[in-house]
Amino acid sequence: MNGNEIASKDDALFRSIEYTGKNFYYAVGIFVTIIAFAVFLYAGQIISGLGVTGMAQPVSWGFYIVNFVFFIGISHAGTLISAILRLSKAEWRRPITRMAEVITAIVLAIGGLHPILDLGQPGRIWHLVTSGRLQSPLLWDVTSITAYFAASTVYLFLPLIPDIAILRDRGTKPRWLYQFLSWGWQGTPKQHKVLERTINILMIGVIPIAVSVHTVISYIFAMTVQPGWHSTIFGPYFVVGAIFSGIAALLIVMIVFRRVYHLENYLKEIHFSYLSILLLIMSLLWFYFTFCEYLTTHYGNEPDEMRVFFYKFSGDFAPYFWAMILCNFIIPVAILSNKKTRKIKGILIASFTVLIGMWLERLIIVVPSLANPRLNYPTGIYIPSITEWALFAGGIAVFMMGFLLFAKFFPLISVWEIQEGRASSVKEVAHRLRSYLPDELEEDDITKALH
Amino acid sequence: MPRWGMVIDLNRCTGCGECAAACKIENNVAIVGPEESDQGRTMLWMDILTEYEGEYPNVKVRYIPRPCLHCDNPPCTKVCPVRATYLNEDGIVAQIFPQCIGCRYCMAACPYTVKSFNWYRPEWPDTMTSALNPDVSARPAGVVEKCTFCIHRLQIAKEQVAAENRDLEDGDYVTACTESCPTDAITFGDLDDPDSEVSRLRRTARAFRLLEELGTEPKVYYLYEVE
Amino acid sequence: MTSRTIQFLQYASIAWIWIFVLCVDGWIISLLIVARRLHDAINASVAIGIIAIPLFLGIASALTYVFFGLKKHRLVEEPERREL
Repeated sequence: MNGNEIASKDDALFRSIEYTGKNFYYAVGIFVTIIAFAVFLYAGQIISGLGVTGMAQPVSWGFYIVNFVFFIGISHAGTLISAILRLSKAEWRRPITRMAEVITAIVLAIGGLHPILDLGQPGRIWHLVTSGRLQSPLLWDVTSITAYFAASTVYLFLPLIPDIAILRDRGTKPRWLYQFLSWGWQGTPKQHKVLERTINILMIGVIPIAVSVHTVISYIFAMTVQPGWHSTIFGPYFVVGAIFSGIAALLIVMIVFRRVYHLENYLKEIHFSYLSILLLIMSLLWFYFTFCEYLTTHYGNEPDEMRVFFYKFSGDFAPYFWAMILCNFIIPVAILSNKKTRKIKGILIASFTVLIGMWLERLIIVVPSLANPRLNYPTGIYIPSITEWALFAGGIAVFMMGFLLFAKFFPLISVWEIQEGRASSVKEVAHRLRSYLPDELEEDDITKALH
Repeated sequence: MPRWGMVIDLNRCTGCGECAAACKIENNVAIVGPEESDQGRTMLWMDILTEYEGEYPNVKVRYIPRPCLHCDNPPCTKVCPVRATYLNEDGIVAQIFPQCIGCRYCMAACPYTVKSFNWYRPEWPDTMTSALNPDVSARPAGVVEKCTFCIHRLQIAKEQVAAENRDLEDGDYVTACTESCPTDAITFGDLDDPDSEVSRLRRTARAFRLLEELGTEPKVYYLYEVE
Repeated sequence: MTSRTIQFLQYASIAWIWIFVLCVDGWIISLLIVARRLHDAINASVAIGIIAIPLFLGIASALTYVFFGLKKHRLVEEPERREL
C-alpha cells in the first residue's frame, strides 16, 4: 500500500495544516492582543517593582506562584495518557496521545516561566547558575522541570517522526522543515524497531520524572515549617491533583479541537467516556486525599494549624474553599457517574469546573498559610491586581496559541498510530485476549469471532 | 569568636516603639506611604507585637519587640536558592542584598515572619535625606531585607579592635535598638561569654524564646514579666 | 533547500541536543563545586547530582540512538517502499 493512498483516507487529520481559515487568524489575533496586554503590564512591573501586584506582608506569594503550580500541574496530562496508556497497551489511546504530549510541552514552558515573573530582581536570575544552592526546593524544581521538559519534548518528537515523514511525502510546505525534522524516516521495519524500542524505554522513564516534578513542587511548601504546609501527604496529594487537572485540560482540548477541525470520526464518544471515567476516579482520589489532610489537621487541634483550618472552612477563604469542593468533587462526580450525563456536553462542563476547582485548590494552598502567621500579626489580606490577572490571562493565551501553532504544522492526531491501529491492532488484541483464556482457541475460531 | 545575642526584658518594655524607630533610622529602612501601609507593606525590621489577654476590665497587654531572632538553625537559609541569606561566623543571619533575586522564599519560610520586602524602590521625603546612615547600603526594589543586628556597627567595631590589637569582646558594639531603649529593656552582647550580661540574663528562670518547640534555636531571649 | 543543507541541519540538531544536555550537567557539577568550596549543602548537591546528571545523559543518548538508528536502517535505493 502506498503511503499517499492510505493518507488520503485520513485527510481530515491534515486539514488543520493544509487549510487556514479566517477563524484561525481571528483566534491568533485575540490571543496576541491578550499576550501584548500582559507583556505591557509586566513591563510596568519590571520598571516599578512588585508593588504593582496585590502581594504584601505576610501574603508575599500570590497569583504567580498559584499559576506556576497550576500550569505545571496540567502538564501531567501528557504523561498519564501517553505513557501509562501506552504501557498498559490501551488501544483507545491512539487519537489522544499527540494532544496530551503537546499540552505537556507547552504548559511546562509556561509554568516554568512563572517563577521568573514572580522575582523581584529577574535580571539576577543568572545567580541561580553561578551560585545556586541545591538544598533549596526551588533548585530541585529547576532541575526536575528542566528534566521533564527535555524528556517530554523528546517523547513528543519521537512518535511525531513518522507523521512528519508523511507530511514530507505529501509535499506539505515548508518542505525543508519536514525533510529536516523527519530524520530520514522511511518506515522500514528496522527503523520502526529503533523508534519503538526508544519510545518504550522513554514511556517507562518519563513516569518517574513526571511524578518527581509535582512532588518537588509540593516540597516548596512542605519543606517549610508553616502551618498548613508542613504536611507529609503533600507529595502524593499534588501528583494526584496534577493528574486530575491534566485530564480535565486534555478533555477540554479534545472537545474544542474535535469541534473546530471536525475530528468526530477519530475522537468518538467512547474515547471521551473512557477518559471521563479516569477523571471521575481522579476526583474520588482527590477527595480522599483532601479528606485525609483536613481530618488529621482537625483532630490534632494544634492552635496554629487550626487558625489556618478555620480561615479556610469558615473564615475569609470559606467561599473559595467550598467552591473548590463543589467544583472538584460534587459536580464532577454527579455528572460523570451517571451514564446519561456522561456525554460530551456534560464532560465539557465537568472538565471546566475541575479546572476552576483545581486552580482554587492551588490558591487555597498558597494564601491561607501565609495570611495566618504563627506569631501575633493581623491576618493577611490578598487582593490580586490587574497585572496579576493580565499575566494569568496571558499564560492561558500563550497556551491556546501554542496549540494553534502546533496544529498548523503537525497533525493533532497521530496519523501513523491510527493507521497502525487499523492494520494490525485488531489481530494483536484478538491474540492477546486468546492468551487470557484457559482454552486453546484455533485461528479459525478467532477469525469467526472477528466477523 | 563572639556569638552575638539579645535579651529583651518584657517587664521593662513599655511598648513605646523607640527601638523600632531607631532601627529604621539607623538602617535606612524605607518609609512606606499610608496607602502602601494599609496594604500591609510597612517595613519594620524591629516590629512590636501586641498581645491582648482577657476581657475588659481584666485586660492584660503585652508588648513584644521582635527583631530578627537570628536563629542558630535558621529555616530561611535552608530554602534560599542563591545564598543571599546565610548564617555567618558571628552568629548573625546575614542578608546579601546584591545577591538576592527577590523570590521571597525565605519570607514564606520564616516562622516568625521577620523579613520585609522592597515592593517599590525605597524613597524618603526630602527632609529625611540628611538622616540617612552612610554606613548602611541602600537596597533596590525587589530584594528582601531584615534586621542584621546592626552588622555595620560590628564591622566598625572589628576594625577598631584590630587597630587596638586585641580581640573582639562583649560590649564592643551594641545595636541601635539596644542603645535607644529608654528603659534599658534590650540587652545585647556575646552569648558565648559566660560573664556577659546577656549570658547571665538568659540563664535566669524568666527567660524564654519564641516558638522554641520548632527547634530554630533563636538567639533573642525574652524575660517574662513579674506580677 | 539542498539535501546537503537538510543533512547539515539534522546533524546540527543532534549536536545542539548534546550541547544543551552537557550545559545542564555542567551547571549541576558547578553547583556541586561551589557547595564544596563553601561547605554548604553538600549532601543535597551530591544527591541531586547523582540522579540528574545520568538522567540528562540518558535523554540525549536515547535521541542519538534514534538519530543514528534511522540513518543506518534507511533503504537508499527504494524511496517508494512504505511499510507500516
